[in-house]
Amino acid sequence: MDFRNILISVDASDNALRAVDYAAAILGPAKGVRVTLLYIERAPNRDRFESEEAWLGQCQLDHERVFEFLTKARAVLVAAGVPDTAVFERTVLCSAEPSVAQTILDVQQEGGFGTLVVGRRGLTKGEEFLFGSVSTKLVHNAKNCAVWVVQ
Amino acid sequence: MPESVRALVERYKPPVTVGSFGAVFTDTSQFMDIGYGDVIAVGQSHYLVMGDERERRFGMEDPKFWVKRCIELESGAYRILKLEFQETFDQHIGPLTITCHRSAVKEARILRLVTGDPRFMQGQTYKDDHGNLVRVLERVAGRRLDLNIEDIHAEHREYFHEIFPGILTRFIAACRAIHHLHQHGETHGDIRRDHLYVDFKTGDYCWIDFDYGYDSVENPFGLDLFGLGNILSFISGKGVHAIQDVDAEAHGITEADCALFFRHRVVNLRKLFPYVPEELNRVLMHYSSQSEVYYETVPELLDDLEPCLDTLRRA
Repeated sequence: MDFRNILISVDASDNALRAVDYAAAILGPAKGVRVTLLYIERAPNRDRFESEEAWLGQCQLDHERVFEFLTKARAVLVAAGVPDTAVFERTVLCSAEPSVAQTILDVQQEGGFGTLVVGRRGLTKGEEFLFGSVSTKLVHNAKNCAVWVVQ
Repeated sequence: MPESVRALVERYKPPVTVGSFGAVFTDTSQFMDIGYGDVIAVGQSHYLVMGDERERRFGMEDPKFWVKRCIELESGAYRILKLEFQETFDQHIGPLTITCHRSAVKEARILRLVTGDPRFMQGQTYKDDHGNLVRVLERVAGRRLDLNIEDIHAEHREYFHEIFPGILTRFIAACRAIHHLHQHGETHGDIRRDHLYVDFKTGDYCWIDFDYGYDSVENPFGLDLFGLGNILSFISGKGVHAIQDVDAEAHGITEADCALFFRHRVVNLRKLFPYVPEELNRVLMHYSSQSEVYYETVPELLDDLEPCLDTLRRA
């Protein structure tokens, strides 16, 4: 694993943007880094919506939000000094199984990423019980890589 | 009301007075307008509405206007009709707020999945003239588990040694039923002790009401596991033991011995009842405020819970 081969897992949240900001500040002056912005796409729960149209509308909104986020994240990295040609974007579809965390780890292993960066929501114990925590699972299960968890 | 339907009502009306012949509804969109004496016609059957179902909890009654108590006129059988009512709402669990949704599509899907499976309520789904999903449910011939347990007149020690092993055996089977849903990508969504019924004939447990859903990406079964833990705590303790109702000082009970979400509920039952086996208490403590490890799947829970049954049987 090459620690300069960096995977930043993002959604379109403020936590993810903090992770990008942090990574940009560290990586901007560094030489020979390669940064991949990874978005794990999961369709909104269809049961929540009254009609197919409403659901598709939400899918479209989510898609646009992520597209804007990835554009912004790339700009942050480039502005910090990471060459534009060294920034990559990847979107992976994730169904109910495996979890988002496992999907991230699969991508990390397949791509030989030596550094994994992720934002953290700062869940309470109760929230972690009910909703699960991606960052906690990454810290527990990541192998052969450094994990940067940005709060 | 057309003469043909009126004749059906006359022929099959239940042994109660039907004071008025209402309207026949083939479109259930305006379910608030459907009431006593009306007839809902779906799936080539007619259902005489006797009233709205009510949710009875904590001594309160809440009318559920989208759930109708009915008589199927062609068969005379009692049926519950759940009409389509899509909503999103906040559910409060202790200090947490969870956004949930009520989905007819979800319940219809699960009804199909569990057809013929006595561990779940049974029913069929039909579309009305407007495309609304109407779930026609059979009444579960049983009684709520929590009411059964509350009616057991025995001291906890006697209950725990004599009765509880049988209850736990059936509860484990009910957990496996929930796992069956999870294996098919479904959740129950609203696991509560008043949603688990005891079959009058077999004594087996039967889950009802699975139209709730929630979004939990990383831990999709978390809320179901939480519900199972609450029921386990209830059946193990023969009720809820609030910290203010026990001699906390004498038993050395602190907040760390209470539930993660309900800080007044004692889950460290071994401090109240020292004969509760350590294995079972460890399972219960996964739901305490001091726990750092949580169950994410039913097999994880059962891996710990099933050996408790052996311990109890040996005791």
